Amino acid sequence: MLAASWKAAGFSYNKYLSIAARVIRKSLKEEARLKAEKRGPLELKFAKWENGKQGEAQNLYKN
Amino acid sequence: MNTFRAARFALRARPTIAFRRGYAEAAGPADKIRLSLSVPHQAIFKAQDVVQVNIPAESGDMGVLAQHVPAVEQLRPGLVEIITDSAATQSFFVSGGFAVVQPNSQLSINAVEAFALEEFSAEAARAQLAESQRVATGNGSEADVAEAKIEVEVLESLIAALK
Repeated sequence: MLAASWKAAGFSYNKYLSIAARVIRKSLKEEARLKAEKRGPLELKFAKWENGKQGEAQNLYKN
Repeated sequence: MNTFRAARFALRARPTIAFRRGYAEAAGPADKIRLSLSVPHQAIFKAQDVVQVNIPAESGDMGVLAQHVPAVEQLRPGLVEIITDSAATQSFFVSGGFAVVQPNSQLSINAVEAFALEEFSAEAARAQLAESQRVATGNGSEADVAEAKIEVEVLESLIAALK
């Protein structure tokens, strides 16, 4: 069963949904796909500021 | 003292009023269910009265009519069929999400992606399926294989819906 397969792999429900959504976007016809795929990528970075200087930026979200 | 008695009477009287007022009357026509189908970037249906909605719940496919018992259902990637009136049906393929049946003949479906069937390209789906099956049976990392297996299940469901 589907539920078992993603839980067994240690994926979160969010991760599972994002995989399903990505597959759906990629299956669209050209025009709709180009529009939809812009929603896919997700990026989240953080950097610590010390003494007025920005530290190294780190990725919080890994695809 | 008199007001106190009146207040007590009012308290006792309230259940009768609640009983007489049906849930469905408050929502709309008694034979329709009010559907909201939304994805994060768009409301596809916004409180529209429809006859029936068939949803691919994790516990099995189910049809939701007016005055359905309240329920929360997790959705599989699959086809949501919306019977807007006796003649017209609209079909959307959803990525998975949740359907919430509220007591007053209201149904909210939330998904990450939902598209009408004609927006899909069967070739693109089949090409992806071949690729995902290759990864699923290959000797990649455990996470890659698990991801490919999810892709295969989504694509098989999509290709079956497109036929």
